[in-house]
Amino acid sequence: MENFSEVMALFLSVDNFLAIAAGVLVGVVVGAIPGLTATMAVALALPFTFSMEPVTAILLLVGIYKGGMYGGSITAILIRTPGSPASACTLLDGYPMAQQGNAKKALKTALYSSVVADMISNLALIFFASYLAKIALNFGPPEYFWLICFSLTIIVSVSGSSVIKGLIAASLGIILSTVGLDAVYGTQRLTFDNYNLMDRISFIPLLIGLFAIPEIIDFYMTRVAPHVRTAVAGASLSWKEFKGMLKTVVRGSFIGVIIGAIPGTGATTAAFISYSEAKRTSPRKDNFGKGEPEGVAAAEAGNNGVAGATLIPLLSLGIPGDVITAIILGAFMIHGLTPGPVLFQENLTLVYALFCGIMISSFVLVFVGNAAIRYFSIIADIPKTILLPIVLMFCIYGAYAVNNSTFDIGLMLAFGVLGFVFNRTGMAAAPFLIGFILGPMFEDNLRRTMLISKGDLSIFFRGPITWVFVLLTVASLAFAIRRYWVTRKEEALA
Amino acid sequence: MENSEQIFVESSESQCGRWNPNSILGGVFSILALCFLYYVVPTHIELPYHMQHPLLSPQFLPQLAGWMVLVLSLLLMIDGLLKPPKREAADEYRRGVPVLRQVLMLVAGILYAVFFEQLGAIGSGVLATALLFLASGLRSVWVYALVIVFPVVVTLLFIHVLNVPLPAGTLWESLSLI
Repeated sequence: MENFSEVMALFLSVDNFLAIAAGVLVGVVVGAIPGLTATMAVALALPFTFSMEPVTAILLLVGIYKGGMYGGSITAILIRTPGSPASACTLLDGYPMAQQGNAKKALKTALYSSVVADMISNLALIFFASYLAKIALNFGPPEYFWLICFSLTIIVSVSGSSVIKGLIAASLGIILSTVGLDAVYGTQRLTFDNYNLMDRISFIPLLIGLFAIPEIIDFYMTRVAPHVRTAVAGASLSWKEFKGMLKTVVRGSFIGVIIGAIPGTGATTAAFISYSEAKRTSPRKDNFGKGEPEGVAAAEAGNNGVAGATLIPLLSLGIPGDVITAIILGAFMIHGLTPGPVLFQENLTLVYALFCGIMISSFVLVFVGNAAIRYFSIIADIPKTILLPIVLMFCIYGAYAVNNSTFDIGLMLAFGVLGFVFNRTGMAAAPFLIGFILGPMFEDNLRRTMLISKGDLSIFFRGPITWVFVLLTVASLAFAIRRYWVTRKEEALA
Repeated sequence: MENSEQIFVESSESQCGRWNPNSILGGVFSILALCFLYYVVPTHIELPYHMQHPLLSPQFLPQLAGWMVLVLSLLLMIDGLLKPPKREAADEYRRGVPVLRQVLMLVAGILYAVFFEQLGAIGSGVLATALLFLASGLRSVWVYALVIVFPVVVTLLFIHVLNVPLPAGTLWESLSLI
């Protein structure tokens, strides 16, 4: 009871509610602007959280994440441009529906499916995260070492079209993560005697540089593509129609939850599995791909079922499940918190206050999503010629705010150029970020293990937990290699 | 993955030549990895006088990652030479971009990177935004009013609402002293 009142005291503040509302709104708006992504919005919002309370800061970012997931579907349905890779599946039936004059129905189906899936995912987060954290309390450095090895295999799934390029990007991220003073010996590593690099490369300039600046550079290095407009037309969705799809939505949500809880599998996989499962069991399977509302519902349920569940490994183990949770992990660290089992021991009130906020964000999404449907044309018609210089201004001010240093502005622009080169050469920036975050964790746990065992390597296989993670790592790698060969074969046949 | 701006463009896909992004990227990264492993790591990562185990060495992780880059880059180069990738449809939009547009963007970037503290947040914001508006060929006068409005509003937002200090500009401070 005492804990409950502490949680409520922490959660029930105007700032938290404003942060959730602002986060969801910004997420939906940014997601609905073609060319801007939820990842970019979360990265840009990070400097804004410096002066906020940790709960408020995290809720703002989670709100943007959730809003962005739905916002991405709006553009997928209306202008056939998915705001995120996960929305690509929504496009399959959403766009044909819009073409048939049922855009409003498609958008409402996507919204309500997203909200139901999001709530189920949040409940899974609340129920499972603390249990997993309890188990993780038994982990020592060798167990964590293997857990990070397993998490590093997520690089394969975020590598985009080329696994080799993804692994190169991740290795580069690992190299850059070692810049600074060595944690054990205190010697200089790759600092080139520059004092700005002694305390490692700042996370925020890297983040903004990789995920916001390339879009801006690309805009000025490309001829402007024709602007596509589509009105939100047609009849709305009735409760009876949605009730008919509820089974598909719940099934998709559970698929999303299971997949989201596994680091690296991601929303795209969940959306496509949910979609194919709905198609397999639907009496109207022939209509899938031609404008079937159940297809939109399945894709969105799978996609959004992941949102809360990706926070399970983040909060309980300290392992990011995807790129956005990697950014949220950074936000925790900026506010002096380390996600993982210790967070549940030392900051349980904060964790439960976060859970309350995350649940509320689903309800906020209903209102903001409905407003976005109504005012979509205004949002999507903001010209990028005006928008991007302002985004650049936010990037510059945000990077400077970290250490009040122009060095960070230069660093951010350098990472921006790197991200632009990555985009142009088909390399994904996500593995770079994952490598940058997991690199120091890998090294830290490796060294702790070696110090504990005094150099005895058998400690890496000291018990059943280590073996479970070894097997998971091997299985994940085998799956990745198999996927690589299958893709190669398909490409050769095409 | 993040470049969702790409609009689906109907165009015929053609094969790249032997010197394609994959083979060039693989070649460049191979050379960089060799420089990193044989020059940067030995000269710019200090080793302690006493080390309990080679795995504890400050050079271990950078070397491991460097070798990974080298091996994977060679694989990428071979892959690019043997099986050139298909040309992207988006390439069409990347040709014939006015040079002035690119130069103005570059100047705006340099302005922020080099003169941010001298010109201040508002000063550099106004100039860079004006350059970027010019780069996009914006003609309307009311749009240029935004060049002043946005930097002022965003700076005030950072300083007064978010409590994040931004530079006022050393140039203006020294001018006011004169």
